[in-house]
Amino acid sequence: MRVTVECYGASARWCGSDAITLDLADGATGNDALDALAARYPDFAARRDTVAIAAGDAIASPTAPLADGDVIALIPPVSAG
Amino acid sequence: MSDLKSLPRLRDGALNLADWLVEPQPATAGALNLFAGTVRNIHEGQAVRGMSYHAHRGLAETRLREIEAATEARFGVRAVVAHAVGELAIGEISVVVVIRGGHRAEGFEACRWAIDTIKQAVPIWKEEHYLDGQARFLEGTPIQPVESL
Repeated sequence: MRVTVECYGASARWCGSDAITLDLADGATGNDALDALAARYPDFAARRDTVAIAAGDAIASPTAPLADGDVIALIPPVSAG
Repeated sequence: MSDLKSLPRLRDGALNLADWLVEPQPATAGALNLFAGTVRNIHEGQAVRGMSYHAHRGLAETRLREIEAATEARFGVRAVVAHAVGELAIGEISVVVVIRGGHRAEGFEACRWAIDTIKQAVPIWKEEHYLDGQARFLEGTPIQPVESL
C-alpha cells in the first residue's frame, strides 16, 4: 500500500522534502512508516523517537494500522511561543 | 460566545495586541493579565534578523482552542490565546495570552500555565534567520497532550 508522509518543521530538513511517498506492506502501522523513513534518512533516524504522527487534525497512535492512500504528518519537537 | 471567540486562533503575520483586547471586562473580574511573546534580536549569542513560524494549521488551531478551554476550566477565568504563523520581524508579536479573572493570583497562574502549555502542546516551529544569512529550526520539546500538562 502507498502512504503519503507530510514533513513539518525541521523534519522536512531531516528528510530533504516536505512530502514523501512510502510503499509499505499491508497492515503496516505508523511505527512501520517511521522505521521506513529512518532506514532511508539518517538525519531522521537520529531523531525518530522524538517525532509524533498526526492524521487529520489529531495526533495518531503509532501502533494504529494505516490504509492505502492515507496521509500522515510528522510532528517533530515543537517550539511555539 | 463572543465574536472574538469565533475567530481563528492562528493568524498569518504578526499579531496586533489590540485585536485581542476587544472583549469587555466581565463585571465580576478584578484582574486583566496579559502575556505577549515577541521576536528578539539575539539567541545564544547569534544576531537574529527575523523569525519564521511554521505550523500544522489544523492541529495547531485545535490545540490552541483546547488550551483556551482548559485554562478557563482549570482556573475559573476567561481566556483568549492566539499565535502567529509566517514571517515576523524583530519586536513583532508572535503569541498572545489574555486572561480576565476575579483576582490577580489566579490570573497570573492561568497566564503562565497557558503560555507554558502552548509551548509544549501546539505544533508550531520557530525557524530563526540570522544576520549572516543562515537559518535554523530551534530545538523544541516532543509534543504533549494538553490534558497531560
